[in-house]
Amino acid sequence: MNGYRFDRLKILVVDDNQHMRKLVVTILQAFGAIQIFEASDGERAWAILRDANPDVILLDWQMDGMNGLEFARMVRTSPNSPNPFLPIIMLTGHTHVDHVRQARDAGVNEFLAKPVSVKAIFTRLISVIEHPRPFVRTKSYFGPCRRRRPNDEYRGPERRTGAEGTTALDDSPVAASK
Amino acid sequence: MPKEQPIELFMPPNMLKAKVGGTFAGLDMAAINRAEAAMETLKVEFSDWIAKDIARLGEAYDAFVANKSAACAGDLFRASHDLKGQATTFEFPLIARVAASLCKLMDALESHDAVPLQLADAHVNAIRVIHRDKIKDISDLTTLTLVEELEARVVKAVAYVTHKG
Repeated sequence: MNGYRFDRLKILVVDDNQHMRKLVVTILQAFGAIQIFEASDGERAWAILRDANPDVILLDWQMDGMNGLEFARMVRTSPNSPNPFLPIIMLTGHTHVDHVRQARDAGVNEFLAKPVSVKAIFTRLISVIEHPRPFVRTKSYFGPCRRRRPNDEYRGPERRTGAEGTTALDDSPVAASK
Repeated sequence: MPKEQPIELFMPPNMLKAKVGGTFAGLDMAAINRAEAAMETLKVEFSDWIAKDIARLGEAYDAFVANKSAACAGDLFRASHDLKGQATTFEFPLIARVAASLCKLMDALESHDAVPLQLADAHVNAIRVIHRDKIKDISDLTTLTLVEELEARVVKAVAYVTHKG
């Protein structure tokens, strides 16, 4: 038992498929969440974002109109965004590594491939709570750092050294500030 | 990819952690078990849900046959993409696989006119039959043979159009 108070979180679920929304909402309610908002498209989600200011979003990729990637980019970079740091968990039927890269480049924090499982949703939520990524601002990107996280669990010898030991994908920080 | 300069890196305050409190002590199995139990109660609805998703796929396919516009192609792709992502949850893993193959067909061909209708039609019909016959076993030999044949034909169709183009 870790005593998380999910009832204190405002969670927005954005998916154009009502069955998937119901499934995800049911799972979140079982975790203890009670402040759950639903949107079937990006436009409605944006309105809820501005009105309710949710703490975390579970976002589908494929939607009619504004898709999940466009929505994530708006959250991160629109001057009207109520919270550019909002944790975004992308929940999608896309499974190819290129799709993961595209989601990452749009500013998504966590990627969750369908079919969904209770454990997968739980671990992604824990991930954004316990292991938030630092944010990066470059000329062309604003969002969570796209470097892979170091494996904190690994206790063995250093297996890679020098240039090969870096895990940078794109962002290599030169300046850090609080 | 070349590294972009300058880069600013900073850690925003962890508002989520401040709100939910608690400490991480492994997976909260009580919460997970509650959610698994809640999903069990939903299972009675899965059959109805997937039937509606399949009906939507059929409508999207009919609309695409009548009008090969980008909008209709998009609707058909999204309907098959939903099934690709959800059918396994709804206990029809082979429907998810056929839908994934249809997604690949729709996604790989740049021109909507290039989509071979007979092959798309075969996918839609396969999904209907798997659902009608309630084939939930992922190792059902006849269905697997059908699925593999559809997947192989999609690979061929995509290769043919790509090569021709």
